[in-house]
Amino acid sequence: MASVVSSVIPRGQVDLVDFVDWSGVECLNQTTSHPLANALKQGYRDDDGLRLESDADEQLLIFLPFTQVIKLHSAVITGPEEEGPKTVKLFANKEHMGFSNVNDYPPSDSLNLSPDNLKGIPVTLKYVKFQNVRSLTIFIEDNQADGDVTKVQKIALFGTTVDTTNMKDLKKIEEH
Amino acid sequence: MGLEATMICIDNSEWMRNGDYSPSRFQAQADAINLICGAKTQSNPENTVGVLTMAGKGVRVLVTPTSDLGKILACLHGLDIGCEMNLTAGIQVAQLVLKHRQNKKQKQRIIVFAGSPINYEKKTLEAIGRKLKKSSVALDVVDFGESDDGKAEKLETLVAAVNNNDNSHIVHVSPGPNALSDVLISTPIFSGDGEGGSGFAAAAAAASAGGVSGFDFGVDPNLEPELALALRISMEEERARQEAAAKKAAEEAAKEEKGGEQASSSHDTTMSEAVNTSAVIADDKRQNLTDDEAALLEQALAMSMDGAKSSSVDMIDADMSDATTEDPELAYALKMSVQESAGDSSTHSGMSKVLEDQSFVSSVLNSLPGVDPNDPSLKDFLASLQDQSETQQKQKEDSPEKDGDK
Repeated sequence: MASVVSSVIPRGQVDLVDFVDWSGVECLNQTTSHPLANALKQGYRDDDGLRLESDADEQLLIFLPFTQVIKLHSAVITGPEEEGPKTVKLFANKEHMGFSNVNDYPPSDSLNLSPDNLKGIPVTLKYVKFQNVRSLTIFIEDNQADGDVTKVQKIALFGTTVDTTNMKDLKKIEEH
Repeated sequence: MGLEATMICIDNSEWMRNGDYSPSRFQAQADAINLICGAKTQSNPENTVGVLTMAGKGVRVLVTPTSDLGKILACLHGLDIGCEMNLTAGIQVAQLVLKHRQNKKQKQRIIVFAGSPINYEKKTLEAIGRKLKKSSVALDVVDFGESDDGKAEKLETLVAAVNNNDNSHIVHVSPGPNALSDVLISTPIFSGDGEGGSGFAAAAAAASAGGVSGFDFGVDPNLEPELALALRISMEEERARQEAAAKKAAEEAAKEEKGGEQASSSHDTTMSEAVNTSAVIADDKRQNLTDDEAALLEQALAMSMDGAKSSSVDMIDADMSDATTEDPELAYALKMSVQESAGDSSTHSGMSKVLEDQSFVSSVLNSLPGVDPNDPSLKDFLASLQDQSETQQKQKEDSPEKDGDK
């Protein structure tokens, strides 16, 4: 188990993995044996043996809808030194993008991951651009070694929720 | 088969005039497309199918993915044959159409009919294949018509590049007496990734094999797909309900001592409903059953119906099937039931008594589809029933005496 920063959470932020709407999560160009869950889900993402791998080429397109509106503060993306992601573009609130139109829109933020980031140091995002996020699209354009396969160990997102009403807590007022 | 949006790419190039497939290559293609559309829409009502042509003046989308079979069939009329097929453009346009489908939850699939020679390089085709794989689009290719050297190989590399977990297939159909559609029915293109439209395929195969109406419910799935689907679903529901009713009956008998009065009365209605609807289904099926099967089915129905009728009748006899055919015993049973209903056994309806009867239960279970009488759990349960019925017998002996004394 890598003894590096595994649970450094920036002050006041929460790990947003609890707010991911799993029924709508999509990932294009992943291998079936190494799917997105390996990098996202609690437990899986900390397991060094499980990772997300790209299939036909080195690009990956991940779509994450959230169960409520969130503000995104920072992200941790870890992976192996050679095959870990390098250029990562984030798009807020854009649904159903494909590889063909991913470069038609300017990204909400564009990250260039350094080997330090790949070890677990969080990348701070342009907070201003992520104030009202319902869904996030992560486009991994290439990897460190420019190889054919990109491998991602873990993707963790940190931020806060915007206070929204949880419909399940709403109870009908009973007539007495 | 799962939820799918399919785009079918038709080859309407000059090579389709050739008559080595009957009646002509183009007609054979159209028939195959009819069948595929039917199979897709039948296997899942939310599936959508669209059609485009690759030759003629250029790639043209005839109908965007829809679940309306009539629209699809209508657009196949009046198609012109001409020019050369543009495979790459056709696939790209199909991909674009699928990308803009209404229901994003549907998986994407392209079916290409490649009848003319392929002039592209293997590399180009591989690149296209990889692009499709990246966007998780599955590809099925029907290789027919022209077969110059290299065409089969090229198409194989294309499908291999797209293939992800066996979701893409290629079928080579050589000219011959068999119709193109018949050959396709037995391929994975028809049956999808799973068992899928195999029921439909079987029915279609039976029809094309000629003569006998091999359709499940006397309804042609080609002509009335919704009706056939509805009948099939209601048949399965009915079967499930009957099995559930039988299981519940078993549980009722087990719980009887605790006086499950309400449960058994509601169970009565379930059983009678099941009996009534099974009679209807039996009528439907009768025309398709052989004489033996029909006789058996009627016998089973008669037994269960008599069981419902005699819910006020106490069946003490071991052989339920004989009881109703012999009048003196029936009279005796009626007498018993009159005494019974005066007594405490009014809480136990005759139905549950009937079901206690081990031999009756086993005969009902035998007649139910999908129930294996040799199943060990069934045997245990039947054994427990027998114990139940023995204690019940003792109780019955006591109560008539009591009534007799009154």
